[in-house]
Amino acid sequence: MAIKKIAFIVEKLPYKSETSRLALTHAIASQTVEIHLEDGDNVEPVLAFVGDGVLNCLKNQKALEVYGVSSLEAHVKNALLLDLRVLVCKEDLEGFGLTEDSIVMDAEEIGGEVTTQVVPYEEIQQDLESADHLMFF
Amino acid sequence: MRLAVFVSEYREPEMLERLKAEKLGIVLVQNGVYHAALKKDGNVSPVLSKDVEYYALSEDLQSRGFSDSDVVDSKVKVINYDGLVDLIFNDYEKTIWL
Repeated sequence: MAIKKIAFIVEKLPYKSETSRLALTHAIASQTVEIHLEDGDNVEPVLAFVGDGVLNCLKNQKALEVYGVSSLEAHVKNALLLDLRVLVCKEDLEGFGLTEDSIVMDAEEIGGEVTTQVVPYEEIQQDLESADHLMFF
Repeated sequence: MRLAVFVSEYREPEMLERLKAEKLGIVLVQNGVYHAALKKDGNVSPVLSKDVEYYALSEDLQSRGFSDSDVVDSKVKVINYDGLVDLIFNDYEKTIWL
């Protein structure tokens, strides 16, 4: 049985468009539903936030109160709850003057065990190279 | 002309440089609020470099994980939806979206 690795790379901002939400939804769906590309194939998703995309991971988003839609913060937590590999580009986070404290690092309160990994872009590049499919959002 | 300009993207609209008005207000909404809340590589957004009135919408800041006090430049006034309505009706004659 072959594993197909799909990298979901988010480089867009949240809310103005649905783009980054779609990325999270697809990544989560590919983790939770047994997707068979071909008979016997399984999917291993990895979710990476780069460029402006790192801002999807900011804490304290109040989208539910203001817009009546679930926040991207909640989606990131759901991804962690489902043991998805979540990577955030270190350089881009620092470029905005943000630290690990400013972004969603864990989903402990809902029972998540894996944490977000803040990594240099080089590491994300390695994931892109090892993935079978790249999806840019 | 008293003109209020809505900026809803996190990029500098080209048209912003050209606009002339006796009173110009830049209202940062939606993704435009990132101009008010973030520095990129330590620098304040070029959108904030003008000598005009600046406003940022509190609801859009909060949706994105910022609080009203996160605004990086003191010349940006944080307003809510009600304040925005007052602004459009009382302080400006025309509004445009960039």
